[in-house]
Amino acid sequence: MSIEEIATEPAPEAEFSVVGKDVGRVDGDEKVTGRAEFVADVVLPGMLWGAVVRSPYAHARILSINTSKARSVRGVWAVVTAEDTAGKTWGAFIRDMPIFAVDKVRYVGEEVAAVAAQDLETARYAASLIEIEYEEIDAIFDPEASMLPGAPLVHEEREDNIAVKIDVERGDVEHGFAQSDVIVEDVFVSQPQRHAPIETIGSVANYRPGGKLTLWMNTQTPFMARSRIAWALDMTQGDIRIIQPYVGGGFGGKSCDDNNALVSSVLSRVAGRPVKLINSREEEFVAGSRPRVPMKIAVKMGLKKNGLVQAKSIRVVADNGAYCGKAPGVFNVASLRHDTGYRYPNVKAESYLVYTNNIPTGAFRGFGNPSAEWAIEQAWDLAADALGADPVELALLNAAEPGYVSPHGNRVVSCELKQSIRKAAELLGWDEKRANRKPYRGLGMGTTVHVSGKRHFGDYDGSSAVIKINEDGKVFIICGEGENGQGTMTVLCQIAAEELGVPFEDVSISQADTDSTTYCHGAYASRLTYIAGNAVKFAAAEVKRQLLETASELIEAAAEDLVIEGGTISVRGAPGSRSVTVAETAWSRQYRRGGKPIVGAGSFDPDSELQDANRYGNESGAYNFGVQMAEVEVDPETGKVTILDYVSVADCGTVINPITAAGQQEGAIAQGIGYALTEHCLVEDGRPLNPNFSDYKIPCTMDMPPLKIGFADSYEPTGPFGAKGLGELGLDPTAAVISNAIHDACGVRIKELPITAEKVYFALQQKAANEVSEGKA
Amino acid sequence: MDSISHLPEHCDISLTVNGRTSALRVPANALLLDVLRTEFGLTGAKEGCGVGVCGACTILLDGAMISSCLMLAARADGRSITTVEGLADGDGRPSTLQDAFAANGAVQCGFCTPGQIVAASALLAENPKPTETEVKEWLMGNLCRCTGYYRIVDAVLEASNGTSS
Repeated sequence: MSIEEIATEPAPEAEFSVVGKDVGRVDGDEKVTGRAEFVADVVLPGMLWGAVVRSPYAHARILSINTSKARSVRGVWAVVTAEDTAGKTWGAFIRDMPIFAVDKVRYVGEEVAAVAAQDLETARYAASLIEIEYEEIDAIFDPEASMLPGAPLVHEEREDNIAVKIDVERGDVEHGFAQSDVIVEDVFVSQPQRHAPIETIGSVANYRPGGKLTLWMNTQTPFMARSRIAWALDMTQGDIRIIQPYVGGGFGGKSCDDNNALVSSVLSRVAGRPVKLINSREEEFVAGSRPRVPMKIAVKMGLKKNGLVQAKSIRVVADNGAYCGKAPGVFNVASLRHDTGYRYPNVKAESYLVYTNNIPTGAFRGFGNPSAEWAIEQAWDLAADALGADPVELALLNAAEPGYVSPHGNRVVSCELKQSIRKAAELLGWDEKRANRKPYRGLGMGTTVHVSGKRHFGDYDGSSAVIKINEDGKVFIICGEGENGQGTMTVLCQIAAEELGVPFEDVSISQADTDSTTYCHGAYASRLTYIAGNAVKFAAAEVKRQLLETASELIEAAAEDLVIEGGTISVRGAPGSRSVTVAETAWSRQYRRGGKPIVGAGSFDPDSELQDANRYGNESGAYNFGVQMAEVEVDPETGKVTILDYVSVADCGTVINPITAAGQQEGAIAQGIGYALTEHCLVEDGRPLNPNFSDYKIPCTMDMPPLKIGFADSYEPTGPFGAKGLGELGLDPTAAVISNAIHDACGVRIKELPITAEKVYFALQQKAANEVSEGKA
Repeated sequence: MDSISHLPEHCDISLTVNGRTSALRVPANALLLDVLRTEFGLTGAKEGCGVGVCGACTILLDGAMISSCLMLAARADGRSITTVEGLADGDGRPSTLQDAFAANGAVQCGFCTPGQIVAASALLAENPKPTETEVKEWLMGNLCRCTGYYRIVDAVLEASNGTSS
């Protein structure tokens, strides 16, 4: 089916049989019994363990590396440095990172050498014997300072430390400000939040002398990992096979922007044996998943007295860290995406992504939205204050609608943002609570817009899948998108079952394996339900056509008169007439002279565009929206913030699986609450001071507030059964929502994340002191 | 040839793991978690932090919940251990608690799940009808980054036949 055809597909009248139902997760039993295999559980005959020598300095020249002592340790099979690589640098957008540092190190934790040995203890011991002589050079940690002329250059071949600049104006913001009755502006700072999945990044590499490299790798994006790894190792993609075991949480951090799998691959090639390399928790903090890009965002917004927004301008300075990874994409989203959520006539973004000697930053669930919304959703709260307006009313007045085209060319098809705002206000009891205010209690809200896939790795954002019907009638989906916990495998099985008319239990799905599945981009940009869902739906439609073709011979009825229900094929509207099962049909088609299998492929590439040189273009095929509201209480004695009530409503089109959909919002909100209140990696001279779960505080059971989850009644005509993306929007606005509620509760606004009790306490003290001095004056 | 100067002594120990008693020789510095995973092939318990904070390595030692990443295998000599693999019945069918986790959406990536389930089983053994607050307090040492915990708490309450929210 073409995009045009599905775009006109109306919302169905008929009830779904599998879609929208709480079917059990296809991976549930394996995971609750401990049988699910994660990368650390993979064991191969003759397997060695790897250990990495990392830079202790943020910026230093490497004068010499002496590996002789390490090589002489009994049980050591390989000791490698940059000399053992093809000497190529790599990266998702800008190829600037080596596998092992060459000539100089650029951040604390950077890979300098590695060892493979018979066991982990021996590998770590030998690694400790590698002697590296460094000469420290001036390091730069503050992005603003790093932009100034004369700052130490992180990459000396570059003229300055600015990795990417965005300077975009649509309309005329100065004119918009001139027309405004109210102008608000402020500066907001966000921190490099860590993904902190409970499973660290790891790999098992098996390089065979014939030149084939097999990698078991806990990546969210096996095929994109394959292309980057092939580039960095100077191999062809077909010589690399990546097998995705179960992935213990990704959140963007396992999308192959780090060196783990490259180090294990180099070790395996040199040792001639398989090598397992699993990051310790500390390694995960210093050089594993690339943390959320921290940003300093100055925002200015102008509105008419009637509440209509006239103009918005932002200036973003974002910390790229030492190497680029996904930060260029993240920073693009932070600069532009928000303009799809509200109807801004004039917008401007002046943004700088700046190299520093901090850990490279990158993709983390939300992909720029949480940092941007931390600033912009607070600007909307400032605007409501300045206008004396209810933030809910102001949001409703300016919210995007179906058919809206953003200033940057994003074309909104389905959009239930307004419905979501009303629903959230009702769930929280916004009006009632606002009318019955209590001391030190306050309400806050924020909205978000996210994509369902984003076209930014070249001009393709599609997916494909193959379905085969086994000779017993069971349906097997061959798909390389993978699963990292979000429930994609289950959702894709539901979509196939619905399209085919077979019981959900009869459908299963492959793990991602680059040798045996078709090309898939993988899990990012909230893309799988929408994009892979469509690919699976079209593959199911093709195998259904084949089934009906054969069944038509068996039943002696026209294929177009046949229907599949519950795994049985019969004549539509003729109960009791001849029927055959899917199993009988599959067997009959295969087991005859000249027989053939029932197998079909489906592909889908959404109607989106690669941004042009001026960063204009419809980035996604469908936009999902969300709104969150909170009631908080602030303890004036301690500054402690308690979330009394939290509400999140999402417009994700049709909900394919209610339990996993709610779970996506709940888990995202937990991460958003951590981002807002507790998660802060303390750094001194580029060195993380709290790289562990004792001191870097992710939420636990006791930190979670009462929560109500809602979904808008919504249908996306280009999505599979009306569905669109959901995975990320649940944490996009959370920090701003909480900050807005704190301000409403006690009149102070914390502008630098995280909002600790200490900051709130001192802000309250300052406010009281100001009031006293104003009273005197 | 240099070699590790502090090569550990080995210990001969006996462990009863999921009801089966085995004699084995382990390095004196081997962690119980690593011995369960490598010697017994019981990979349900995971290493998430290595310092006893995240709870992914939770097992039962003589019925009491412990972090197996913090205990030397030699210290468990003569004692009885239950891992998540030991909670299912003989045919590998999930227990009521395990089923409740799968059915309630308490599982996403599944990496912390074995630790959560083993910890919850210890709670239910001690307190068959816990309140919601008791479940939350008991599980505060089992970190999960996927779920936000709501459905984990619901699953434990459902398994206890308590009131599920």
